[in-house]
Formats: sequence, C-alpha cells, structure tokens
Amino acid sequence: MAWRDTLTTISGGPLDPGLLAGKVVLVVNVASQCGLTPQYEGLERLQRRYGGEEFTILGVPCNQFAGQEPGTPEEIQTFCSTTYGTTFPMTAKLDVNGRRQHPLYQWLGSAPDLDDVAGEVEWNFEKFLVSPSDEILARFRPPVEPEDDRVVAAIERALT
Amino acid sequence: MIPANEVRVGDRLRTRSGVELTVTRIDHAFLGRDDMLAFVEDSNAQWLKLPAPRSGEVELIARGAADT
Repeated sequence: MAWRDTLTTISGGPLDPGLLAGKVVLVVNVASQCGLTPQYEGLERLQRRYGGEEFTILGVPCNQFAGQEPGTPEEIQTFCSTTYGTTFPMTAKLDVNGRRQHPLYQWLGSAPDLDDVAGEVEWNFEKFLVSPSDEILARFRPPVEPEDDRVVAAIERALT
Repeated sequence: MIPANEVRVGDRLRTRSGVELTVTRIDHAFLGRDDMLAFVEDSNAQWLKLPAPRSGEVELIARGAADT
C-alpha cells in the first residue's frame, strides 16, 4: 500500500515521503484531551531513542473518540510541542473508523492485536508498527504504554 | 442526565467536550473493562464513540424514536 505518499501534514501540505520512506513506522492516533494523552511522553522518548534513518513515530490526530481532539491544527501543534516537546511528524486530522475512514486505517484495521482481534480502532493511542516493506508487524491497543516491553521488543526486532 | 445503563439505541447524547452523537450501537465493554459501556454513532454523518462507566450518567439530549 502506497500510504506513505498519500498523507497530509498537520500543517496542511503533503507529508514529505522522505520522512517515512525506508523506515519502521509506529502509527499512533492521538488526542489532546484524553486520559491517555500523557502517552505522548513515552512516544517522544521512543522517538528520541530510536528515531532517525530507520524509525519514526507518526502521530495521527483524530476527533472520533468523545471529541477529545477538537482543536485546530495550530492548537494541536502548539499543545504537542509546548506540553510534550514532540518532534515526530503528525498528519492532518483523520477519521480512523467509520464510513469516512482514511485508507491508511482501512488497511491498518485488518491487523490483529495481541489477542488476535482485528477491526475498529478502539480508542485514542492505538499503535500499529509497520515495516519498511509495509508489513503490519504488531498492533497494540491503547492501554499498552508506548514503552511497554512488548512495544520496545517489537521495535527492536523490526530494526535488526 | 440519565444513568448510562438506561441509554438506548436512537438516543441523542452530548459528550463533555460538547460533541453530540445519536447512538446506533452500544458496546458492553470498553478497553476490556466490563464496568464500562461505549456508545457509538456509526452513520453517514459521523463515527463517534463515547464511553461511560456502567454506573455513571451521561447527558441525554433527546430520546430515540423508539421511545416517542
């Protein structure tokens, strides 16, 4: 799937394919007003630890979960940078479920989680690990923290 | 406000952030928690999920057609 070439940044322009090309990508739907929003801290630590030529996190703002990402792109960017100092790329706000589901999530949703359950994104901060050859390597539901041993192990396996 | 466990398909609810949804589906667990419900609107208008403690309350804007 050529998803890496079809995304829009949170600033509005096309996402530079170079930010994702050839990399392992941890795709995470994010929200600014969720109880899980502090997961940004762990995500940013993963980005600083593994980010570079071979890995990046990709944040996907989504307002479909209790309307917890209501802000404008500027508000979301400011919140992420000033509150959590995030440095990973972010897309424009997307629908991850439903009839206007973005094609990226039509594809990601087919992947099973740790309990072998596929389908809808359950809530904010669901994580999909994608290989450079576009294999969905793992799916972690929202309660699994970014620095959970299972997430870190999956990233390290993908990078070896 | 009404008890969450009295919400029915067709009811219109408002989230704390002010977003509204018309319930088309009720999930009887949320993030693996059986003490939580999740109300979902899956329609042409939007897809939106609102979780709530089974013993809590939610803001009801209007009862669904089945109740009128």
